Amino acid sequence: MSKAIAAYDPAVDAAVHHHPIYDYDSGPPVDRGKFAIWLFLATEIMFFTGLIGTYVVLRTGAPSWPNPAARLAVDITAANTFILIVSSWTVVRGLAAIQKGDQGGLVKWLGLSILIGSVFVGVQVYEYIELFKHGALPNQDLFWSTFYAMTGFHGLHVIVGVIWLSCLWIAAVRGRYTAQDYMAIELGGLYWHFVDLVWVLLFTLVYLM
Amino acid sequence: MSEQHHFNANKIFVTLIILTALEVAWGTLIPYDAKFFLWGGLLAFAFWKGLLIFMYFMHMKFEGWIVKCLIAPTPFLMCVVVFAIMPDVAMNGQLDHELGDQLDPVDGAVVEIGTGSRNIEHTADHGDDDSTGH
Repeated sequence: MSKAIAAYDPAVDAAVHHHPIYDYDSGPPVDRGKFAIWLFLATEIMFFTGLIGTYVVLRTGAPSWPNPAARLAVDITAANTFILIVSSWTVVRGLAAIQKGDQGGLVKWLGLSILIGSVFVGVQVYEYIELFKHGALPNQDLFWSTFYAMTGFHGLHVIVGVIWLSCLWIAAVRGRYTAQDYMAIELGGLYWHFVDLVWVLLFTLVYLM
Repeated sequence: MSEQHHFNANKIFVTLIILTALEVAWGTLIPYDAKFFLWGGLLAFAFWKGLLIFMYFMHMKFEGWIVKCLIAPTPFLMCVVVFAIMPDVAMNGQLDHELGDQLDPVDGAVVEIGTGSRNIEHTADHGDDDSTGH
């Protein structure tokens, strides 16, 4: 079957079967990878909508809600938010570098993004450990349940993002990407920016409001 | 390969950093009880930052109609999700017990954690098991 597809030549086939040559792609008018990643991101939006929507409903329905600043280290997490935004910027710089054919630049910026993303995860793990030490467990009350559910699932996404970027970085070190072939970087970057976008909302909702 | 999108990433990055700093300052300086100003400002900052990331870093501003159509239903579905679960707590003000209390599944009365008719039956079953020597 694959040999038949590989041997298929529309120009030859058209002459034999007397029909015009169709040189268009019957797929969607966008790169298939990009189509797939946006479809995936749409499902991810709905996943976090479920978490955030439930949080909003539970919070508005609760008779009282503690001031997050009294329970959480807002200053450390604010610094962590800066860190994640910087990592998004470094991914953008990496993509811009490979678009210009700068493979070394891609390796440098991707490596920096992985490092910064790992720091974000490290700070979150540190925050969890400190909270656990003070007895703030997920089953303590509604505040902690929603806090760990939302930040925990986001943290898992960051870990997946770091692994994804690491795979891209290894391929980049091997010279896999060029100025003509960098779609994988763009797709990985889209996921990473989405994780950043979700954190921007979570930071506001969970830590500041 | 995809097309290159020309925008000033450094400018967007600096804007995001400034907005985050302003947001943290807003959340810290505005009294917690002034919820209208506090929440209104914070949500405005978050929406602005999210929009910048979405439109520029994620290139949505430069995408074609098909990608935009993929994402377009999600705001509507978000509203569906929130309004679908809202009735679960909308009547909380009329509850005759504290939120989070365990209710007896048979008569609806508030019970202590670990008691209630279902738990009592469960305990009784265990008691029977013990009496048979298992």
